[in-house]
Parts: sequence; structure tokens; C-alpha cells
Amino acid sequence: MQSSLHIKNLQLFRQNELLLSLNEQVNGGEILTLMGPSGSGKSSLLNWLTGALPSGFHANGEVWLNDTNITFTPAHQRHVGVLYQDALLFSHLSVAGNIAFAMPPGNKKQRLDKIEASLAQVGLKGLADRHPDNLSGGQQARVALLRVLLSEPKAILLDEPFSKLDSQLREDTRELVFEQIRYHQLPAIMVTHDHSDAEAADGKIITLSKLS
Amino acid sequence: MTEINSSKSTIQKSKQKNSQSGSQLNHSTDWFTRMVKFSPKFLLLLLIVPVFGGLIGVLLPAFGWAPALSQYDLGLQGFNALWQTSGFGRMIGLSIATGLLSTLLAFVVTLMILGAFFNSVWLDRIQQVLSPILVIPHAAAAIAVGFLIAPSGMISRLFSPWLSGWELAPNGMFPHDPYGISIILGLTLKELPFLLLMALGALAQPELGKKLRQQHKVALNLGYCPMTAFYKVVLPSLYPLLRLPLLAVLAYASSSVEMPLILGPNTPPTLAVAIMHWFNDVDLNLRIKASAGALIQLALTGGLLALWLLGEKLVKCLFCESLTNGKREYAGSYWQKVTGAITILVISFIGLALLGLVLWSIAGFWRFPSALPDSFTLLHWQSAVMQMGEPLVNTLVIGIITTLIAISLTLLCLESEQIKGKLLSRFTSLIIYIPLLVPSIAFLFGLVWIQQLIAVQVSFISYINVVIAHLLFVLPYVFLSLASSYRQLDSRFAIVAASLGTKPCKVFLKVKLPQLIAPILIAAALGLAISFGQYLPTLLAGGGRITTITTEAITLANGASRRTSAVYALMQMLLPLIGFILAWVLPKFIYKVAHR
Repeated sequence: MQSSLHIKNLQLFRQNELLLSLNEQVNGGEILTLMGPSGSGKSSLLNWLTGALPSGFHANGEVWLNDTNITFTPAHQRHVGVLYQDALLFSHLSVAGNIAFAMPPGNKKQRLDKIEASLAQVGLKGLADRHPDNLSGGQQARVALLRVLLSEPKAILLDEPFSKLDSQLREDTRELVFEQIRYHQLPAIMVTHDHSDAEAADGKIITLSKLS
Repeated sequence: MTEINSSKSTIQKSKQKNSQSGSQLNHSTDWFTRMVKFSPKFLLLLLIVPVFGGLIGVLLPAFGWAPALSQYDLGLQGFNALWQTSGFGRMIGLSIATGLLSTLLAFVVTLMILGAFFNSVWLDRIQQVLSPILVIPHAAAAIAVGFLIAPSGMISRLFSPWLSGWELAPNGMFPHDPYGISIILGLTLKELPFLLLMALGALAQPELGKKLRQQHKVALNLGYCPMTAFYKVVLPSLYPLLRLPLLAVLAYASSSVEMPLILGPNTPPTLAVAIMHWFNDVDLNLRIKASAGALIQLALTGGLLALWLLGEKLVKCLFCESLTNGKREYAGSYWQKVTGAITILVISFIGLALLGLVLWSIAGFWRFPSALPDSFTLLHWQSAVMQMGEPLVNTLVIGIITTLIAISLTLLCLESEQIKGKLLSRFTSLIIYIPLLVPSIAFLFGLVWIQQLIAVQVSFISYINVVIAHLLFVLPYVFLSLASSYRQLDSRFAIVAASLGTKPCKVFLKVKLPQLIAPILIAAALGLAISFGQYLPTLLAGGGRITTITTEAITLANGASRRTSAVYALMQMLLPLIGFILAWVLPKFIYKVAHR
């Protein structure tokens, strides 16, 4: 079955002012890019999708994930993974600990093997026991990616995920993230300011305008 | 404002002389900078001399060397007398049980509330309800809790006679129950808001708070139930900031006298209360035994602190694995409901206790099962206020002097950090909190011994002694409260002012302090509240001759009428409350005038 993330007739309001309306379907392996100036409601849209719309905002409409209505599902039961511009790794856990934290429970040995294998896959072999604060920015971004992927999400949201990386690193990391999204056939929505991000995503681009 | 400044500058001038003699080599800096640089050393002196002097002053008599009693034979007679005291083991047991259980209980409930309501509007609401509890002195809280759980107290009235069938007040064991349950209840209710606000204060730090909230969100996105996310992600980073407050609570709970005096059993009492009785006994030879007891108290509290730290390690070891086992849900919704119920219970308990206190203070005739008094009267307030003159003046004078010194010294020390460009040394920051970690009953008695050796018994001297003793407890809180705002002050203002040719003392007084007026006033209100609530330091350092609202309240709590006692307890709450309201209102007023 093809996985999909479907936003149905969304109208997002700040106080009582309409920020954006959206009606989109993203299929597995596709990346929908949202661009627009700050204040156009991009981040609020992602917050709504994760189930953490702050007070002061409200929304009409529904979000369906693989034919399940998750509009009123609590954040932690949605299986929607998010990559932020900061890696937000847990500083009380090692690199392996951060990834293990995200994985479903199970056999300890198998989980460790899986962590080792996936670290090697993204070029971080042997860094499992390192402290995340001692990694470079690019390494942290890759650990954050693994953390999201190994939590086995059903969709993935990218909140300006590459904006803190410098240009060469940015391209490499972006390629890796998009490759993984396509490999896992996840529907993805990306919010970005950067046109090269949008082009690389190779999907539909929606430019939001600031409504006043 | 001008008043504060002028009194501050006189203090500064008087200290200027001290510092000049100390550092005459350094001619390049002005007197203000030198004074500021000297201030951390002065702070250390002010804390170390009384605390460690007091400890030595109790150590020597404990082993029989007491010149004040003309006893010079070193030996273990004090300890021998202790072992022979009937119920000594029970005293120790009671101190350990009440201290440890109340701290543990307050900590667990704090964690449950934080876990269940992290990042929700409810946490702010709970904070708003519970923060006023912080200003209630322990003695007043104890009196209120005592009224609540007494056989004829509010709880029993609410359930009588329709549920309990009691037409007359029953014989109950609360308060003063032999197991210390009342003490545990009182301490838990009092320490819970403190720990909660300490945790919320840590989470309010801009950088840490933001990081932890984002990480909590990440955990939610990864499928963690909110409570589990708090325990697995937020708590490990938050706990190090809670350690010091927790240890302070544990040290206080295991060695305080206010709560056990009012809520505890008499046969035998907790160790700290027993020591106090022995010290105040007419038989001066009991003081050797009391000093030995103070050493045991020191060991007991030290042992409990060590036990807590050990427990920390153990918990870390046990749960380290489960942090990353991927399990996301531990019956979170069930625990959320339990926490909600406990929170409601705690808040209604506190609310009922306060309501009872107010009712008693204005009650005329009040038959047993009725929930409300039959008639109301202001007579108790009138007669109590008539007698309150001297204690009230003492309370205010000592509180204001202590707070002024504490605030000035704290500000100077924080300024010295900025001038030197580095934080106070770890040693200094540790020493600031020493009075909160060492049982006050131990070093305060040593101080009394020393005072009796050297001091002339003039009442003027007793006031100075009381101020110094209060400072030991006011300073840490004032420092804790001011430090983060001072350190967050944008240093560019000072640089701009300096580049315009402003002298360092002017930068301090005219640029930095006005920006900090709100936190300074809050710290002052806190300092006043802490000073108002001190019982043992007032009693001991004042040689029993200086009465304050708090010492009177405790004296009255176990004898006189409930109504008078209620009035004093309410006065105890009213004074700090006025301070905090002023601290809250004044900055708004000052800004309004400034912006006109």
C-alpha cells in the first residue's frame, strides 16, 4: 500500500486572522516544499501537523495519515517524525543512546547491532559511545536523522533542517536525508527559506504569502 | 530609592576604610573597585567565622571542655549522658524518619506534578496557587496544619457528625502523634512548593528551559507519552539543578525545631527539639549533654545527606538502562489522573488549613461539629495587636537591617564577578550555601557558648548577634534570588556608560542597579520573609531576650488559646506577604513615574 499524508481543507488561524489554507496530498517518497516569509504560518502548520499547535492559534480541517484521521490524535501517538534546524540531541545520552531512545523496544543485542549498522551507513562508524556535544554539526545532523528514521515514523516533517549547516555540508546532508526519505518511501513536508533546498527536493513547491 | 542608595553608600564608605588598609599597593583602581574586589572575601568571612566558629564552639564542650561552666576535664561524659537518656534511640529514629520521608515525599510529588503538567498551562496555574505558600514561615504553617488535623480541627468538623457520627470532639492522636506523621505532613506541605518553584525557576532559565522544552517535544514526536518524555529526557538534565535545594530541604527537615515543636510528640521529641530543651534547661550541666547531642545531630544530618547522594547514584545505576530501552508508555494516563488527584488534595489541604486559621482568629463561640463559628469577633486581633508592639518592632528592625546588609553584599559580590570577568570560585559558591546544609542547631549553640565567653551582656550586643545569625540564613536566599538576573544583565550598557567616562561606582549605582530594581525588590522581600521566619537564631543569638512575632507565635502555639495563636500565625504570614506585594507593585509605580 502506498503511504500518504493528506491535509484536507486546512484553514489555520492566528487569533481570528486566517494565516493559510491548504489542501494537499503527499505520497510516500515525495517531498512537498513550503516556502514563504516568516510569519506566513509555515512553522504553525508543522506544529499543527505534529499535534502541538500553540495557544492563540486554531485550525479547521483534517489530517489523514495512511487513511487514518489523526487530526485529534495526541502528539505522541501520531508517528510523525520531525527534523529541526537544531539537532536537539539529548545531552544526557551517548550517540547510541540517542538512537536507542527512538527505537521501538526489543532485544537489546539486535537493537545495538542495528544502531552500529545504521551509523556505519551514514559514515559515523565507531562513534556510538561518543557524547553528542563532541560531534561536529554535520555529524550531529546525521545522528538526528538516524534518530528519526529508526523511530519508524509514518511521515516526516523537515523544519528548515539544513539552515544551520554551511554550504558543502548542507548539500551532502540534504542528499542523505532525501535519499533516506525516498528509500523508506515516507511522505515528507519541508519548510525552508532556501531555493536550492526546494529544487533538490524535486517535488511540488508551494509559496505562501504573508496575509495581512 | 534614594533612601536605599544613601544607606548603601554609608555602608560602602565604612567598608572603604577596611579595604584601603588591605590593598594599598593598587593605586590604579578607585576605591569602589577595590571595595568590590574585596567583597567576596568579606562575604566568606561573614559566613565562615560564625558557622565554623560555632561548630568548634560546640565540639569542645561536647568533649567536656566548657570554661563557661568551669569544666575542663576532657572526656565522653556528654555522650555517656546521651546514651543513658531514655528514648534517645527513638529521638534519632524520629529525626531520621521525619527528615527523610518528608523530603522524599515532597520530591516525589514535585516530580509527579512536573511530569504530568510539563509544558501545559496547568503548571503555571499550580505555580500561581502554590507560590504564596513559600512566604509562609514554617512556624505559621505548622500552626495551620495543627489546627487542620487536630481532633476538633477543620477536617474532623467537615466530616462530623454526618459521616463520623462524632457529636463531641474525639480523642485523636493528631497532632503530636508519636510516629511523627504530623511533622512529616507539615514539612511535606511546606517543602513541596519550595522544590516545585526551584524546579520551575531552573526551567525558566532562558537557554536551558528552551533546550529542555524542545527536547521534550522531540521525544513526543518520537512517540513518547508526555510523562515518560519528562522522566527520560527532561529530568536527567534538570536534576543537577535541584540537588542543592533538595539537600537543603533534607538538612532542614532532619534538624529543624519549628515544625517538631508545634506538631511533634513530646515523649520523646525529635533530637533537635531535645537538644534545644537541654540547652535551655536551668541545670547548666545539661549543656554538656546538649553539645554532645548537637554533634550527633551533625552526624545524623551529614549521614542523611550522604545517604541521599548514595541513593542518587543507585537510582542512576538502576534506571540508566531503561532510559534507552525504547519503552514509551508506563500507564501515563493513569499516573496523570493520580497526580491530578494528589495536586487537588494538596491544594485543598493548604486552602483548608489557611481558612481554618482565619476563622479561628475571628471566631467567637465555636461549638465542635459546626464547620463555621457561631459568632465572629475582632477581639483577639485587638488584644493581640496591643501586645504585639515590641515583637513587631524587633521583627521589622532586625529584618530590615539584615536584608539591607545581605542585598548590598550580594550586589557587591556579583559586581566583583563582572569586574574580574569570571564567576565566583566554586569554594565561595559552596560556602554561601553552607548555612543551609549544616544543621543550624549545631553551630548556633556553639555561637551561644562563644558569646557567653566573650560578650558583655548588653541588649545592643544581642541585636547585633541576632542580625549576624539571621544573615547566615538570609544571605544564601538573597544570593540565589539575585544571581541569575545580575549575571544576565546586558554588559554592553556598562561598557557604553564607561566609554562615556562614567566612574565604576556610578555605573554600578546609576546604570546597573536601576535596571535591576525589580529583582532587587523581590530579593529584598525574600530576605525579609526569611528573617521574619527565623526562630532558633533569634532565640539563641538573642539570648532569649529578643522577642519577635515568630518566637511569640511558637511560644503561644503550645499553650495559649487557639485564637491568639491563630492571630500570631496570620501576622507571620501577613508581614512577608506585604513585602512581596510591595516588591511587585513598586517597580510598576517607579516605571510609571519615570515614563511620565
